[in-house]
Amino acid sequence: MDPLATFLPLWIIFFPMAMTLIIYYVEQFSEKLRNALAVLTSVITFLSVVALYPFIMGGDIIEYTLFEIIANLGISIRVDILSYCLALIASFVWMLVTIYSLDYMAHEHAVNRYYPTLIVTLGSCLGIFMAGDLFTLFVFFELMSLISYILVVHEESPEALRAGYKYLILTIIGGLALFFGIIATFELAGTVSLSVIGMVTQDTPLAMFAFLSFLIGFGMKAGMFPLHVWLPDAHPVAPSPASALLSGIMLKTGAYGMFRVIFHVFSVDLMRDTGSTTIIAALAIITILLGSAVAITQDDLKRRLAYSSIGQMGYILLGIAILNEQAMIGTIFHVFSHAIMKSTLFMVAGAIIVKTGKRSIKELSGIGREMPYTMMAFTLAALAMIGLPPFNGFLSKWTLSLGALDAGNPYFVVVLLISSLMNGVYYLPIIIAAFFGDHEKEFTVSEVPIKMLVPIGILALCTIIFGLSPVNFPYTLSRMAAMLLLQAGF
Amino acid sequence: MTSLAVHFPALVVVNLLICSFVMPVLDRWKKNLVIPVALGSMALSFVFSIHLAVRVSVEGAFGYAMGGWVAPWGIEFVVDHFSVFMLLTLTGVGLLILVYATQDLVHELKEDVLGWYYTLYLLLMASMVGLALTNDLFNLFVFVEICAIASCAIISIKENRECIEASLKYLILSAVGSGGMLLGIAMIYMVTGHLNFTHVTEALPQAFELYPRNIMVAMALFAAGIGVKAALFPLHVWLPDAHSSAPSPSSAILSGLVIKVYAAVFIKLFLKMFPWEAYEAIPLMTIVLIMSSVGIVMGSMFAIVQEDIKKMLAYSSVAQIGYVFLGIALLSQNGTLGGILHIFNHALMKSMLFMAAGAIIYCTGVRRISDLKGIGTKMPMVMSVFSIGAFSMVGIPMTNGFISKWYLAIGALDVDKPLYVAVILLSSLLNGVYYLPIVVNAFFGEHKGNFQMSRKLPLQMAIPLIILASAIIITGIFPRLMLDLADKAVLFLLN
Repeated sequence: MDPLATFLPLWIIFFPMAMTLIIYYVEQFSEKLRNALAVLTSVITFLSVVALYPFIMGGDIIEYTLFEIIANLGISIRVDILSYCLALIASFVWMLVTIYSLDYMAHEHAVNRYYPTLIVTLGSCLGIFMAGDLFTLFVFFELMSLISYILVVHEESPEALRAGYKYLILTIIGGLALFFGIIATFELAGTVSLSVIGMVTQDTPLAMFAFLSFLIGFGMKAGMFPLHVWLPDAHPVAPSPASALLSGIMLKTGAYGMFRVIFHVFSVDLMRDTGSTTIIAALAIITILLGSAVAITQDDLKRRLAYSSIGQMGYILLGIAILNEQAMIGTIFHVFSHAIMKSTLFMVAGAIIVKTGKRSIKELSGIGREMPYTMMAFTLAALAMIGLPPFNGFLSKWTLSLGALDAGNPYFVVVLLISSLMNGVYYLPIIIAAFFGDHEKEFTVSEVPIKMLVPIGILALCTIIFGLSPVNFPYTLSRMAAMLLLQAGF
Repeated sequence: MTSLAVHFPALVVVNLLICSFVMPVLDRWKKNLVIPVALGSMALSFVFSIHLAVRVSVEGAFGYAMGGWVAPWGIEFVVDHFSVFMLLTLTGVGLLILVYATQDLVHELKEDVLGWYYTLYLLLMASMVGLALTNDLFNLFVFVEICAIASCAIISIKENRECIEASLKYLILSAVGSGGMLLGIAMIYMVTGHLNFTHVTEALPQAFELYPRNIMVAMALFAAGIGVKAALFPLHVWLPDAHSSAPSPSSAILSGLVIKVYAAVFIKLFLKMFPWEAYEAIPLMTIVLIMSSVGIVMGSMFAIVQEDIKKMLAYSSVAQIGYVFLGIALLSQNGTLGGILHIFNHALMKSMLFMAAGAIIYCTGVRRISDLKGIGTKMPMVMSVFSIGAFSMVGIPMTNGFISKWYLAIGALDVDKPLYVAVILLSSLLNGVYYLPIVVNAFFGEHKGNFQMSRKLPLQMAIPLIILASAIIITGIFPRLMLDLADKAVLFLLN
């Protein structure tokens, strides 16, 4: 294997971690240098992920073991197309969010805590995606979950601490569930390496328990019903750039874990035979409908977005439950779509908070005339959320629906349609009120600083580009990833 | 040197004993020599232990006859993988606690008893090291008694009402335990005519056919005696008071090492000495399993409601000693390995946590958990160390607590007892419930507790904390060293 290809994954994981220490040291003297280093780190990390592109497209699976902790259990690296998809979108959004943070965090307290946390979370998040076995995945998963606690409670207000406590306890429950799942897998298969496809081959009670534990552990992170309870509290209280990452990227680690569990720990056939897909499908449908329905009732913009995330994660779970080629393409593509859309929306919400201090949707009437560019971005992302063509959200829903029809399950399409309708019900009024609503005082255009506007704009444009462009590389990657995963099953 | 090295098994104990007796003399005439001599002797024992560990891993287990008198007549020590595992744990952690104690004691004890503390400390260490090495029942009893008295004394040396009360409770219960063990030893001697483990082990299977009742009673007495001393639930009642009221270094050594030594004695007696047929007659291991799992859950439950930080740590010890016994009683390769490894891992964690709590009390005088809000900003090092301990308690990967938990869980699955995995997971969750709020409140939140930094943390107290915290991480990532020793010990024990 190309030495560069061997080196890059390690670099991608540990470069941000090493930079965290440097940023932590530097920030004692200079805020400017700290900000510059944080941005530089996220940019270099993103570029390094991009540099992996030729190797991954060449069909390589980069895998090797770093060291063993105990027999058959150690830290290892494995990058295949699915890993690459998630690493790419994560580092891309992370880079934009870091740039956005510069001005957003300028008004906040404890910024010296924020940047090192942000960057170390980037490293551990990429570690999850590039882990070569379940144990490594678990290590980075716990690291990311625990460290992002600091992002959640950043405001240190009583409600932030309450939300944080809920988050922490559920994280531990999820972590313990994963621990059990991994232990049980290790007991059944003698290995937890992801290079093995179908570690568990027998349908035993222990295997069933292992599956349920994985479902609890990863489902908790993905905001799956009924383990979503932490999400609507934790995501809104975090500073907006952190919310963008929590909702846009970190939720996806749960979905990623489920992909690995279904295709590597078990196998597609086993999942179907044991009826596990039915469990996931039922939970996914409840998650979609519940998330969308509750979002309608929320008045706080960030809370509405958080509930919307729950609904959107349900789409991804639904795709996992359908388990055929189209559905998998749709699901993986939706990981891209939702990361882009939801990060945009949260960053816009943050921009509004910075500029006007308003969080309540009622007060947002006329805001579109005050902040036209920001709200344009919001409009694009919201329309993509509803699933209107030609946005990327439409493409993911379309592909998912095709998958559902292929599987002979038109009900799933109905669920998707109802959910789109509900998305419309809670996003459209915001847009209409923002541009056409009453505005008591004369409006003056007062936009957020350019360093906040540019990341929002880029992401908002991505919603169109990846919905419309004929050369749609996220879609291509999703298709390749889906093919790779399903090879074993079909 | 080589000729001296032969006597290391004896010297590791004798050196501590001699220095312990020299302490009062030095205290009277050469006060400034007390601390250096105590530290020197602990360090020397640590070096001896390392030497023995190296020798065992090269040559395998070997025996040592005191004064050249061989087994049936003389005193015999056996240095095997398990005993060097214990030796390293005891002397290593013991040395760090002693370093810490040299500063902490100054504010906890009266001036005139300071010298005595070192006497008692070294005596306690000597007895524990002896327990790890001894190969006959009579010496076992002698060391148990020394250990019991010395540990009572290092609690009551603080000379306040609470400590005296707690140590009295401890003394009485521990005397009951010792009595049980003595009676058990008598029973064994009665049916086999031997006190040496090796000979008893050979004689017991035959004796069991003739006098099964005697041996079963002896087993019950030993189990109860050790249970009391190791604070196995529900025999733990003395522990929370004793461990929380004692001076912080005493708490660290009592919770970190003393209760573990009895777990080691349990292993020596029940895994090595008693015949397997006896377990078919009485379900001792099942009883221990149930006791320890109830202890794991109840200990954590009690810990949640505690207001005093040291009391909370003490209840947490009740739960953690349950892990050790759970692992031992699972009787599977991996489970027992996990139990033994947890002796070492918990020794690191708990002594570190007690020392961190002691450091907070030393600097601010605050013990109430609710008053500790915001302390992380004032004492970042101590609270970071505390956080590492807390994470290890919860079993977050990359800390050594995870490794213990991994083996315990695998061990439980190996013998098809997934219920005990559930117990371990539940307890981890409960650990999270009472440890993490402390960590969180120390670093985050607007409401600060009312405390003042009256003293700066001296280096002698900071260094052991840092070493132990790094050891927790290092043995979490590279557990091989202790694991290999424990692994060989288990292979030998379960054969």
